[in-house]
Amino acid sequence: MIKPAHAPALFFLLSALAAGPATAAGDPALLKDLTSVILLLGLPCGQVVSATRLADNDHVATCSNGTRYRVFVNQDGRVVAEKQ
Amino acid sequence: MRILPITGILLVVLAAGCSNGKKAVPESTAQAEPQATTAPAAQPPAPPVEPIAPVAPEPQPQAAVIAEPTRAEPGSQPETPPTEPTPKPSPPKVAAEKPAVSEPAPVAPAPAPAKPEAPPPPPAAKPSTPTLDVNALKEKLKETKAIGVFTKLTLKNQVDDLLQQFRAYYQAKQKRDIATLRQAYDMLVLKVLSLVQDGDPTLARTIAASREAIWAMLADPVKFNTLM
Repeated sequence: MIKPAHAPALFFLLSALAAGPATAAGDPALLKDLTSVILLLGLPCGQVVSATRLADNDHVATCSNGTRYRVFVNQDGRVVAEKQ
Repeated sequence: MRILPITGILLVVLAAGCSNGKKAVPESTAQAEPQATTAPAAQPPAPPVEPIAPVAPEPQPQAAVIAEPTRAEPGSQPETPPTEPTPKPSPPKVAAEKPAVSEPAPVAPAPAPAKPEAPPPPPAAKPSTPTLDVNALKEKLKETKAIGVFTKLTLKNQVDDLLQQFRAYYQAKQKRDIATLRQAYDMLVLKVLSLVQDGDPTLARTIAASREAIWAMLADPVKFNTLM
């Protein structure tokens, strides 16, 4: 059984776990940005529905058509979208 | 003695027949026929004229709706005519039925619908002002929040690629013709406009206005070299 004293800690733990992925995947500005990039590069996507941040300027975008792209800035300073 | 009531009834029947015929004809959307029917009605006694007057207002809107769209089509503004036409066409119909002298009055309002359609010219005046400040445009594109960082970087890469193609073209390293470069330039401008127009309409307008001026710089080797 969970003791009442542990309940807040458990609540915060669960909220932190839930909030982490949500911010990465649900930022509308980032999703729009990634959608624009993929379309500018002429790749089929539709709309980016979720994204996972791997590093700075490095994301994996999941498109509405199910395709996944790794969008990142390479050493030459060019934005690249690699199909996963 | 009996002749008077009979002629009276006959006249009433004739008048009723004329008024009914008048109703039916406008519904069938014929303008020439109503005039023909009213003409015989006017020849008989004065009383038949009275029933015609109340009947006329009903078909007037229909005739107006039919007549105005034909005028509006060449004017290329479908929205404005439907609101105005209903009140104006009524005078012409009355004029056609009763006297031909009162036609000048309806003719005067007729030019009025043409005047509201005139406003389109102002947009033509806007593009005539070629505003081009390349550096300011660059700064605006960098600072705009309408597009994200990745998008800006991608656009910059594509602009650099296009400039590289121009450079190769002027150095005769590439066998592309200017039409191909123009097509690539147009595509790039359209991409930028489509990205910016929702979030930053002012910038989109500036870019659209500078489009030809930028092309003039790119298409002229001397100006292009000063750019680089």
